[in-house]
Amino acid sequence: MFLIHCPYCDEKRPETEFAHAGEAHIVRPNAAEQSEMTDAQWSEFMFIRDNKRGDSCERWWHVNGCNMFFNAVRNTVTDKFVKTYKMGAKRPSNAQIQKWKEGV
Amino acid sequence: MSYDMKIDLGVEIPEVLQSGPVTAELLGEKVRLSLRVKSADRTVVAKALGLTLPAKIGVASTKADLMTACLGPDEWIVIGETDKHAGLYEKAHKLSTKYVMSVTDVSYRNIGVVLTGQAAAEMVNVGCPLDLCLEAFPVGKCTRTVYEASPILLHRTGEDSFVMECWRSFAPYMIGLMAAHARGGFRSN
Amino acid sequence: MGEFRRAGRGLINKDNPVHFSFDCKTYQGYEGDTIASALLANGVHLMGRSFKYHRPRGPVGSGFEEPNALVTVTRGKGRMTSNLRATTMEIYSGMEASSQNRWPSLGFDAGAFNNTFSMFFPAGFYNKTFMWPKSFWDKVYEPFIRNMAGLGPAPTEVDADVYGSVYGHCDVLIVGSGPAGLAAAIAAAKKDQSVILVDENAELGGSLNSSPSVVIDGKPASEWRHKTLKALSKASNVTLMARTTAVGYYHDDFVGLSERLTDHLPILEGNQIREKLHRIRAGKVILAQGAIERPLVFDGNDKPGVMLASAAQDYLNVYGVAVGKEAVVFTSHDSAYTAAFELADANIRIAAIVDARIYIPTSLITMASDRGIDVHVGKVLSGTSGKKRVSSAEIYDPTSGAKETIKCDSVLMCGGWTPSLHLWSHSKGSIKWDAETGVYLPDVANENCVSIGASNGDFGFKAALDAGSKIGGGRKTYTVEEPIFGTGEVFSSLPSYKKSSKQKAFVDFQNDVTEKDIKLAVREGFRSIEHVKRYTTNGMATDQGKTSNLNALEIASKALGKEAPQVGLTTFRPPYTPTTFGAFCGYKMDDLFEVTRKTPIDAWAEQQRAVFEPVGVWRRAWYFPKAGEDMHTAVARECKATRDSLGMFDASTLGKIEVVGPDAAKFMNKMYTNPWGSLKVGAARYGLMCREDGYIYDDGVVGRIAEDRFHVTTTTGGAPRVYRHMEDYLQTEFPELDVWLTSTTEHWAVIALNGPNARKLIEPFVEGIDLSPEAFPHMNVREGKIFGLPTRLFRVSFSGELGFEVNVPAQYGKAVWEALYEAGQQYDITPYGTETMHVLRAEKGFIIVGQDTDGTVTPQDAGMSWIVSKKKKDFVGKRSLARPDLTADGRKHLIGLLTEDSNVVLEEGAHIVADPNQPIPMDMLGHVTSSYWSESLGTSVAMALVKDGFKRMDETLYIPMGGGIVHKAKVVKPVFYDPKGERLNVV
Repeated sequence: MFLIHCPYCDEKRPETEFAHAGEAHIVRPNAAEQSEMTDAQWSEFMFIRDNKRGDSCERWWHVNGCNMFFNAVRNTVTDKFVKTYKMGAKRPSNAQIQKWKEGV
Repeated sequence: MSYDMKIDLGVEIPEVLQSGPVTAELLGEKVRLSLRVKSADRTVVAKALGLTLPAKIGVASTKADLMTACLGPDEWIVIGETDKHAGLYEKAHKLSTKYVMSVTDVSYRNIGVVLTGQAAAEMVNVGCPLDLCLEAFPVGKCTRTVYEASPILLHRTGEDSFVMECWRSFAPYMIGLMAAHARGGFRSN
Repeated sequence: MGEFRRAGRGLINKDNPVHFSFDCKTYQGYEGDTIASALLANGVHLMGRSFKYHRPRGPVGSGFEEPNALVTVTRGKGRMTSNLRATTMEIYSGMEASSQNRWPSLGFDAGAFNNTFSMFFPAGFYNKTFMWPKSFWDKVYEPFIRNMAGLGPAPTEVDADVYGSVYGHCDVLIVGSGPAGLAAAIAAAKKDQSVILVDENAELGGSLNSSPSVVIDGKPASEWRHKTLKALSKASNVTLMARTTAVGYYHDDFVGLSERLTDHLPILEGNQIREKLHRIRAGKVILAQGAIERPLVFDGNDKPGVMLASAAQDYLNVYGVAVGKEAVVFTSHDSAYTAAFELADANIRIAAIVDARIYIPTSLITMASDRGIDVHVGKVLSGTSGKKRVSSAEIYDPTSGAKETIKCDSVLMCGGWTPSLHLWSHSKGSIKWDAETGVYLPDVANENCVSIGASNGDFGFKAALDAGSKIGGGRKTYTVEEPIFGTGEVFSSLPSYKKSSKQKAFVDFQNDVTEKDIKLAVREGFRSIEHVKRYTTNGMATDQGKTSNLNALEIASKALGKEAPQVGLTTFRPPYTPTTFGAFCGYKMDDLFEVTRKTPIDAWAEQQRAVFEPVGVWRRAWYFPKAGEDMHTAVARECKATRDSLGMFDASTLGKIEVVGPDAAKFMNKMYTNPWGSLKVGAARYGLMCREDGYIYDDGVVGRIAEDRFHVTTTTGGAPRVYRHMEDYLQTEFPELDVWLTSTTEHWAVIALNGPNARKLIEPFVEGIDLSPEAFPHMNVREGKIFGLPTRLFRVSFSGELGFEVNVPAQYGKAVWEALYEAGQQYDITPYGTETMHVLRAEKGFIIVGQDTDGTVTPQDAGMSWIVSKKKKDFVGKRSLARPDLTADGRKHLIGLLTEDSNVVLEEGAHIVADPNQPIPMDMLGHVTSSYWSESLGTSVAMALVKDGFKRMDETLYIPMGGGIVHKAKVVKPVFYDPKGERLNVV
């Protein structure tokens, strides 16, 4: 059972308080954008996910805690959380992820 | 025709939890309000309601018989005696026209169990994976967490006392786990 | 004291003799004995039969690594446990143990013919043999395999024991209480750390219990152990746990500890927990698990009496038991000499030490000759004789080819030492190959974990003690006198004059895998140890290859001509040793197995002997049978009473979400397909929710309580997912909206009243709400009081009748229900359950999400285009609904079906075809989703999802049921009862 750092509670909490919520940083197009999107583009948004091997950005929900959704960089090979951050923060660059890993 | 409308918590504390190194007691009828306030309005709303609304998630404040705890960035739970605070909902409701906030009455949603005794923390740890040493979970901390398959609200009211609340239909399960542990025996040391 | 007991040795309590039975014969042992040590003390080595060949077997080891000596212990009804290691089961007075995998008796076993014909049972035997013909699979092969294979019997009774589990935390968790573990515990305790020290054995101390010649800081090892344990047990920050196995190491230093509390007790008291699973989150984990001695692989190495040298040492030092009178020691490692000397000093004749190596420290040879022991240098054992006990061993000199038979009743083998990597591997720590010693060692940790002492390849007491102290945070260096642990040589294959095919040299004793099997697997093309393992089943038995994995790897790598690391190492997975299901369940058994949510009114329904059904994790009243009624008659009566007069239904399980805030209507517009801005305060509306993919997700009635407040209801099972769906969109896609969601499902008890007399019933008890049809029309909600309690009263109907849903505070739900039931007697009020609710709604063609829809049904498919707003610019699912696939021809539509024979109630799930005479496989058009007998209409009614259903109105379709039965049904609109909706407005 993981200990997951909730960026809102600012605490490490047991995994059973959380729910995984899929890939992060997939922004839902607004009404105007939706109407301009081709069916192929819409399918891409709806159904295609990276399923990355390695450092991957994913969403978690602290459902049995502060009830907040947040984002995390987690390595899908080692299973380790690299960093969690609040919803709304930009997708971290690879360089940033590397820095986090090195503890900078 | 007259009808006697009695409160029915639908659950009882079994004998095994009525004595021993930790005892359990059911909370009776309470006012419980879920209060949501935009952070900018927190202090004014708190003042208008005469409440303390702690800014930090997980912190509870108890004033007289009224407990307020910050559960999320803009979320507080308020728990108090029904007869003394029956008007609190209306008061908060009126404020919501003035400030960006909401109040929802959840008085009857929860069943509360007060655990008291030197094995209280052990009893919480039967189903809750949080570290309950005083540094990690000090007196006054209040948070949502889990008790095995039941979501709970956990409030430490003293070194050896906790209040655990769960949704009504989860109470037999939560209390059942406690009773099973009490029957099985506590840690020797 | 028997001839095999040695006075003055061991931790057993000789003042307390214990009688127990093994295979119905009574034996005497002492308190502190295991089944194995007590049987050995009685001269009994034969303790079981092997898995495949049913060969006689005795204990190979003395602890948890034991592959052979598996027993079944029975202690009354529901308390039979099989596959227990005799080497770890402590005896108690009256214990009944029996051997396994033998018939009719341990001494004579009919299945042993497998042994005689073992040339027909090579590796992959099952894969190769039980193939064809197919008709033999379940009739011949499976019964055969089931009869012959397997170990102990599976229990047939419900487990009578109770189990427990609890979470715990500590700064330092130490696994293993040998010298390394104890030294670490002492050091960590002094640093004020909270320490948990666990050991799987009954006595803490590990190898300290079996090392009479070791002196630590001037004290004999046993004394140092005693003193240290005393100090640790006094320290308030230390928890010592014996009989506790660390079964698995999980993410973030989370370790499962299974504590056995009663298996050693003679008398069980009620409610005593048998095993408790401690789920420990540690700040740091110190693995001091030690090492396991490796058997040597030679012909006849599985005879009872052949065992590990360290095991013989343990039996002598821990239990005061001599494993025999005359032993031959066969080794390729120095450590076996110490064992031989200790045994010799305890009057066990060492007939010979056979050492496969050429170079042996001269000091050892001198010490041997001092004791009159012959050392056969550079020789091997090429065979053993004896049936149920080894009676002699054959010494073979590969250089000269000379053979010599030597009489003995035990053979003690030592092929080196394998550091225990199990928990380290669970934690995903990397390992490295140490070519010199031929073992894998811990390399880079993946958790906050460190391996010390023998489990880290650091052998010897001083090394272990000093490492323990250092890792525990201390600086102490110990002064230790100890025999040389020494070094050894790894022989992946021992020389023999015998043909490989004539040898039975076992690698995995429990699964009967021989050296020959592994070589065969390699010849047949298996290249990875993971595949060799699965093909030969090496390491796949209950002991998980604790004694066999490395030998198998050595043999396979040599056969492949590769270095061991290129062939790999099979992965260790939890649990470390077999663990009862009870320990994993903990308290979560019977009523606590899972949460069963009950409504505030459930107790009343139970009193009325309602029949219940599970709906998600809720249990709901299904129907209320009166005396003599079956479900059909009860439901028919409930339906009729509701339509004729008045029915009452517990709808408390409906999910309820309060959506509150200045942007509440905007948010509702995003989440539901229909519009909400226009809904007046006090009005209610049916809402349909789609996922982003355009498929129906949930539905329910929503009441507007105030401008900024909606009372949303969801389906019973859908409540958690709808809440998540809403919260997710609100937080992540529409954070600019000022609105908040609160689950109020359990705040309210909901009593649905349906039928022409519904209004009359509540009228006398309602205050503050004008119930007249004009003031309170259908699809409205009011706040007021009922019986003096606050209520949200909905006028709504899921039955087509005049209907109200009375929401009252949950804790008063039962009281209100009882009061309404009492008052309703004048209208013959009839409580009904979920079945009648389903019939009533199906008669009206109302869908049940999840029954009439399955996650691939759009609002259009369900015939509900009317509820999808064309004006709204955006709602969840809007764009997907415009995808060509969702609007194309050929989609399945929800339609009604009326059977030609109105008495036929179609089976839900039955397939529908256009032509029942077409060849199989038929072209299936769809399936029946809902089907009931309608008492009100005197006919069955059904709903179905059918390809292009809307275009098939009045067509006749067929429902073939097999066995020549074909039902005929006409496609109709799915509203069967009161299509104009007049009954809603009965005054």
